Amino acid sequence: MKKRDRAIGAGLILLLAAGTAACAGGRGTEPSGGQSQTAEERGGGSRGTGDRESVVVVMDPASEPASGFDPAYGWGAGEHVHEPLIQSTLTVTTADLEIGYDLATDVRVSEDGLTWTVDIRDDVKFTDGEPLTAEDVAFTYNTLRDTSSVNDFTMLKEARAVDGDTVEFSMNRPYSIWPYTMAVVGIVPEHAYGPDYGEHPIGSGRYCLKQWDKGQQVILEANPEYYGEAPTIRQVTILFMEEDGAFAAVMAGQADLAYTAVSYGDQQVDGYELLAFDTVDNRGFNLPAIPSGETDDRGVPLGNDFTCDRNVRRAINVGIDRERMIQNVLGGYGTAAYSVCDKMPWYSEESEVAYDPEQAAELLDRAGWVMGSGGIREKDGKRAGFTLTYAAGDSVRQALSEETANQLRELGIEVQVEGAGWDVAYDRAQSGAVLWGWGAHTPMELYNIYHTAAGGSYARYSPYSNETVDSLMDQALACSDLEESYELWKQAQWNGETGVTQDGDIPWIWLVNIDHLYWSRTDLQVAEQKIHPHGHGWSIVNNVDRWSWK
Amino acid sequence: MRMTNRRRTMAVWMILTVLLLVLVTAAGWHFREAASLTDFSRKNLAPCPAYPFGTDFMGRDMFLRTLAGLSSSIRLGVITAAVSAVIAFFMGLAAAVLGRTADAVIGGLIDLIMGIPHILLLILISYACGKGFWGVTIGISLTHWTSLARLIRGEVLQLKESTYVKIASRLGHGKLKTAFAHMTPHLLPQFVTGLVLMFPHAILHEASVTFLGFGLPPEEPAVGIILSASMKCLVMGKWCQALFPGLLLAGAVLLFHFLGQGLLLLWDPENAHR
Repeated sequence: MKKRDRAIGAGLILLLAAGTAACAGGRGTEPSGGQSQTAEERGGGSRGTGDRESVVVVMDPASEPASGFDPAYGWGAGEHVHEPLIQSTLTVTTADLEIGYDLATDVRVSEDGLTWTVDIRDDVKFTDGEPLTAEDVAFTYNTLRDTSSVNDFTMLKEARAVDGDTVEFSMNRPYSIWPYTMAVVGIVPEHAYGPDYGEHPIGSGRYCLKQWDKGQQVILEANPEYYGEAPTIRQVTILFMEEDGAFAAVMAGQADLAYTAVSYGDQQVDGYELLAFDTVDNRGFNLPAIPSGETDDRGVPLGNDFTCDRNVRRAINVGIDRERMIQNVLGGYGTAAYSVCDKMPWYSEESEVAYDPEQAAELLDRAGWVMGSGGIREKDGKRAGFTLTYAAGDSVRQALSEETANQLRELGIEVQVEGAGWDVAYDRAQSGAVLWGWGAHTPMELYNIYHTAAGGSYARYSPYSNETVDSLMDQALACSDLEESYELWKQAQWNGETGVTQDGDIPWIWLVNIDHLYWSRTDLQVAEQKIHPHGHGWSIVNNVDRWSWK
Repeated sequence: MRMTNRRRTMAVWMILTVLLLVLVTAAGWHFREAASLTDFSRKNLAPCPAYPFGTDFMGRDMFLRTLAGLSSSIRLGVITAAVSAVIAFFMGLAAAVLGRTADAVIGGLIDLIMGIPHILLLILISYACGKGFWGVTIGISLTHWTSLARLIRGEVLQLKESTYVKIASRLGHGKLKTAFAHMTPHLLPQFVTGLVLMFPHAILHEASVTFLGFGLPPEEPAVGIILSASMKCLVMGKWCQALFPGLLLAGAVLLFHFLGQGLLLLWDPENAHR
């Protein structure tokens, strides 16, 4: 029996050790040459060393690009979009998320929307000394069209270099928001592109990759040949740490700027302040808009008998007190969300609703769901309710789901909250609610969420279909003028008769935009940020070249 | 005289232990609804008389959650320990009684399973069975029978050489009849102690596999989940959310261990006369 004793002892020790290991995780990723000074002795500058041209930023481990700094594998133009820093892009998004130019000097589109012509600068060199030409641009886009596994390039037929500084894109279908795609695609050199490009990227952007210790840190150094204004921060060190490790790094004075979560928001650290940035990083849940009964071609059940009623969905939308949710779950660090694209140029203000529990109750009564025993509404012997699935391991989504359940219970709706992995969540969203996170610097997100999927009869993520909405979005994509297309995107949300807002079909309920929180050294001046998209990662360093030390 | 007293004291302590564990299980079952109740008006409270273990980031009562977690751990432990003890009993018996081939096959199987680290195999099986309650239950049941099976096999091999078993087979009793009628009574003490001693393993493994994210779903009150959630708070100095549930889990495990050891002392023929 001695062996068993030992095994149990070992088990207990393992549990304890797991605890200490998690804490020590942060320490393992610190850069070498730690500081032995105390806080009082430190001067200004990065890590208190007085180095006024470098900065140490902590991001979460998921932000480390798994396949390196290759746009074809999602660098910049991936699931979470951001400026690629190492490479230049044709266009850029401005502070108010309209389009500006980087490499491009002029962008024209043909009447039918099928040909884009872009003139580019002719004075740009890659960091290996070779000039950047239209050939490189065409090569980049054709490569991404053929290989990109994370982004949709099916609208591009071919990119072609007309002459040394003009590129022509032929499209398969009109795509008016092409400039937003051009703003995240970094241009790679045709002569130096290969399978190991991700690890040894060569670009023409503001920074070049100096060192990458996988799983630990990335060091970027200013590109001396950069054609634009020289970066004020010459060296950017990015460390990848879990939330608790990041906080420990801040407490130890090892980081100049570190991401953090709401749960750390009430802490105080000497020499640091908490920065909160506005985002369109929204959270919301889908409500299947068709009754149950159907299945898709893989046998996944579609539809939900409770949420298929438009009045039920409207009741839920006005029955949620978003301000209370922000106070309860986000400690005030957030803004109410009414659409997937709040504050974007294509956002329709018709989406906004006021919290009105009485109207919600009235809508539910009208839908036939009347108050039954135990405070839960009933109709034909069925209890009002649905299952809300959240991504297991995401405590903010869990808390938002629980708060939603608490608030809807006041309306007499019973919400079952369940955590699950993304392996099953997509299928669950076809017949129940799932708590999603969206938000991007492109109206394409509206299309992905609300437009009927190609080859299917409903939208991709949650069963819903509306011909008018579809056709307005198709018109928006076909439009040759960007300003005009914003107007059509707005109409797709609500055109006065139908849409996806409260007065329309409201197939998705939007809850909150989550502020992105960072601990920042008090003497670090972080340049003004454009509204962050979904993903608490690289967006923060979009303009690190304009940061400074006070 | 002194001996009987020691036996009796031991027995009393063991009954008290059982009562305590049953009480915890029942209380946890009773409070399972209240344990999942979120109330954001009382979030992140430090331990106080109303909430002895404090509350978490969604205002759930950590004491009730820990109780409910322990309770579900114990219930899961009962099922898994029983299933794997039964598997072990039949495997051990079959290996010893059914001849050389059966022995080789079962011996190989035991070596195979014991050769893979428990937790790894457990994660694989749990994941393959879709995680959740049944994933963990099947995983633990299928991985924990090996050492007891080996013990029973050895015991049976020894019994086969004993005079009364030899006489029985000379008298014409078949292999199975000998096994069940003559050997089983002798094996029972080993079996029951083995079963009880499997509890702590099952409970700890349930907690570990859940801690690692391959077990029970995160909204369930389970000790593994409580511990993994409290990890994040440690760096902020909120140690109490990890300490108390951890201590209670360790306490429950030790109680089961004590029960098993006690049973062994009282019941095992070799130890009983001490």
